[in-house]
Formats: sequence, structure tokens, C-alpha cells
Amino acid sequence: MPETAAVSIRNLSKSFDGTEVLRDVSLEVQPGEVVSILGSSGSGKSTLLRCINWLEQPDRGDIRIAGDRIGVSDSGKPMSRRELAGMRARLGMVFQGFNLWPHLSVLRNVTEAPIHVQGLSKTEADERAMALLEKVGMADKREQYPYTLSGGQKQRVAIARALAMQPKVMLFDEPTSALDPELVGEVLGVIKDLSKEGYTMVLVTHEMEFARAVSDQVVFLDKGIIIEKSHPSEFFENPKTDRVRRFLELEAPAV
Amino acid sequence: MDSSAWGLLIQGAWTTLWISGISIAIGVVMGLLIALLRVAKIPVLHQLLGVYISLARATPLVTLVLFIFLTAPTMGINLNRNVAGIIALTLNTTAFNAEIWRSAFNNFSKEQREAALAIGMTPWVYFRRIMLPQITITSLPGLVNEMSFLIKGSPAIAVIGVVDLTRVTNRISAVTYDPLPPILAAAVLYMLIISLLVWLQRLAERKASRLAV
Ligand SMILES: Nc1ncnc2c1ncn2[C@@H]1O[C@H](COP(=O)(O)OP(=O)(O)OP(=O)(O)O)[C@@H](O)[C@H]1O
Ligand SMILES: [Mg+2]
Repeated sequence: MPETAAVSIRNLSKSFDGTEVLRDVSLEVQPGEVVSILGSSGSGKSTLLRCINWLEQPDRGDIRIAGDRIGVSDSGKPMSRRELAGMRARLGMVFQGFNLWPHLSVLRNVTEAPIHVQGLSKTEADERAMALLEKVGMADKREQYPYTLSGGQKQRVAIARALAMQPKVMLFDEPTSALDPELVGEVLGVIKDLSKEGYTMVLVTHEMEFARAVSDQVVFLDKGIIIEKSHPSEFFENPKTDRVRRFLELEAPAV
Repeated sequence: MDSSAWGLLIQGAWTTLWISGISIAIGVVMGLLIALLRVAKIPVLHQLLGVYISLARATPLVTLVLFIFLTAPTMGINLNRNVAGIIALTLNTTAFNAEIWRSAFNNFSKEQREAALAIGMTPWVYFRRIMLPQITITSLPGLVNEMSFLIKGSPAIAVIGVVDLTRVTNRISAVTYDPLPPILAAAVLYMLIISLLVWLQRLAERKASRLAV
């Protein structure tokens, strides 16, 4: 028996106002694997990622997290809010715009969900949060509020916040696209560390070199269809389609 | 003014304070509930609440007070003056507060909601822990503003015989034949009450500064 996939997407389709944004997308992410989703703007990368945790509801297809279907309960009915929240807690998401909660300090951003979703005591949650803030290099800023932080610092806190729920899979949607160039490195560094620690990750990015370095699998979306799915060395050195070749020439002329 | 006049004045101020205070407390919470129901856009209820808000905002307080006080007995309800006053003030301030809360809801960032849902919060936990603390702070200037409008409008309850801080000045001058001192004193007391509110609001705004993104 093969291991249960961390994420398994089967025949996913999604339309917005009659326009098909994802078409029959299937993808498996194995535990410990890092999968990068590439594609030009508007190709459906964010939508695919947001379907995985049901921030967008697919029209067709099914998505399983470690074998359990998200969004639809066993009886075939839509999941209750509580069930859905339980499934989402198993997925960590990092957004392009950080989306920190501005009324909470760095530490409280990280402990909020462990305390109020998982029911951890404050002491336990603080301990877990401090270890994670240490990991992302933000421990000394624990009492500060988000508005005092740089973009790179905010994103590192957002990563710690997601990790604090001990998710099975981390989803990143262009985590460095909103950052000044000199701050990109510190965030990519954290993500790279996570990949070394064996975290399962799905990453939407425009950082080609980075995708090449951390990924086990690269997926290329074109107008909502996966037109290539391969190992990064294969993808970057030997793309199968002209579409990807052109994309790589535009995005990463140096590679 | 002698000490018995001052005693009456303080009593009137107390009446204004507790009747307004109860109306404000109920009105802030009811306004929040109505805003929530409006945001949920439940078909018929949504329109009904919309009608209530328009009517309550358009009706002068005095009219509302009289209306409540005079119609209640025709429906077999025996209202004492104070309760009728509280109901009228509450109906009025609730409508204004509902609009203040609603605009705070509508302006609240979708991103924070997504971060909350994505991390596994139910909509209720999100509302209580993420949204409510922030919209409370952003709504506070508007709410406090409405509170001081209500207090300044509260002499309307005198038409049904409640002896509040304004009405009591009549009573005092009926004895002293010198209306100016009690009215000046009442004005000072109103100012004290309002400035207490403004001071509370400043305190809250200092906390709010960190919400700046
Ligand atoms: N909520 C929505 N309502 C309507 N259309 C949407 C919505 N979200 C996305 N779309 C459309 O779906 C298509 C795919 O969007 P998506 O955000 O998934 O692309 P993307 O690959 O992430 O692009 P980018 O690189 O610019 O982030 C786009 O045409 C977009 O305009
Ligand atoms: Mg996107």
C-alpha cells in the first residue's frame, strides 16, 4: 500500500462567473514533499491553493487531506462550520499580504489559535509560540504590534502563527511578492529551513531559483490546466512544452 | 441657590444619568445585534429592520417619547414614565448605533477573516476574538458621539413628566423666581457628564492607534 498522500486533489474544476479558472486539476502531495506551483498571472495558482483549504469552494472534484475529504462530510452534505474549521486547522496558510491581526502583539498573534481553537493553556501556547518565534528569528519582537514590523518580519510572524497549529501541510501563496527585494531572502530562508525539517509544503511563487532549490515537484498551471508536472531539474532544464520554455525565458533568463 | 435647590438639581442629574445610561447600554448592544442581523441579509427581516432604522432616525425624540407613552396603555400595557422614557431613548439610539456598527462591519478587512478561517477558527470565534475587539475600537468615536447626542436629547422625556436635569430647573425657579442660576448649574452638570464620555473615548483612541496597519 502506498503511503496516504498529504494532499490529494482529484479532477478539480472551478469557475468564477462562468469563466473556468481551474479545469480538471489533479495533484498528489506526499508527506514531506515540497511542491511548487508556477504559472503566469491569472493562471489559477491562488485559486488552486485556496481550494485546498476551502477558502474557495470547487465546483467539481474532491480534495483530501491525509485521506480525509475537506468541505464535504461523509454523508455527502457540505461540512458544518465546525467540521470545516477542524479540517482547516490541519492546514497552515501563509498569505501574500501577511494578514496578521493588528490588535494582537506578535506573541498573541501566534498563540491566538492554539488557545482559542485547540484549547491549549496560555502557558503551553506561550511555550510553543516562543519556540517558533525563535525559529523564525522574531523572539525578541514578541511584545511588539504588527504595525511596527517590516514586511519581512510580518511574514516571518505569519509563518510562526501558521506553524503554531502544528499543521500537516503548509500552503504559501506568493509569500515574498509583497516584500522589498532586500527582505525576500529572510523569508525564503525560513521556508527553506522548514523544507529541510521535512514539512510538507505547497508553494505558489515567482522566485524561480528558490522553487528549483526547494521543490521535489514543480507544477505548471496554464489557464487553469496543469500542463507540466515534473522534478525541478527536469522542469527547468528540459521543459516538455513550448509554453513552459517561454515562461522560463521571461521569468528566469539566468537559469 | 440654597442646598435644597442643589439637592433637587443633583437628583435631576441622577435621573438623566441613569435613564440615559440604561438606554445607552441596551442601545449599544441592540445596535450591534441589529447590525449583525442586517449584515446576514435574512430576507424579510432585513427589510423590516431597514424600515425601523429609517423611522427611528427620522422621528424626533419628543414625538417618540409621547408615542410610546400614549400608545402603550391602548395596548393594555401599563408603563411607568421612566420605563416609557427608557424605551423611547433606546429605540432612538439603537437605530443610530446599528448604522455605526454596520459601517464598521462593512469596512472590516476580508484578509483578517481569511487568516482566521484558514487557521481553523469557526466564524463565531473569528467574530468574538478578531473582529469584535477591532470594530469596537473603530466604532467607539461614533458611538460616544451618539451617546452625547442622546444625553443632550434626553430632556425630551420631560414631556411625559419625568423630572430630569432640565425639567428640575423649572421646579427650582418656580420657588426662587430666578431661573438663571439653576439653568447655568444644569449646563455645567451636562458638560461634566459629556466630558466624562469624551475622556473615556480618548482612552480608547490611545489603544486604537496600534490598529493602524
Ligand atoms: N473571487 C473571484 N471572483 C471572480 N474572479 C476571480 C476570483 N478570484 C480569482 N478570480 C479570477 O480567476 C483567475 C485566476 O485567479 P488566480 O488569483 O487564481 O490567479 P493567479 O495564478 O494566482 O494569479 P497571480 O499570479 O496574479 O496571483 C483570474 O482571472 C482572476 O481574475
Ligand atoms: Mg495569485
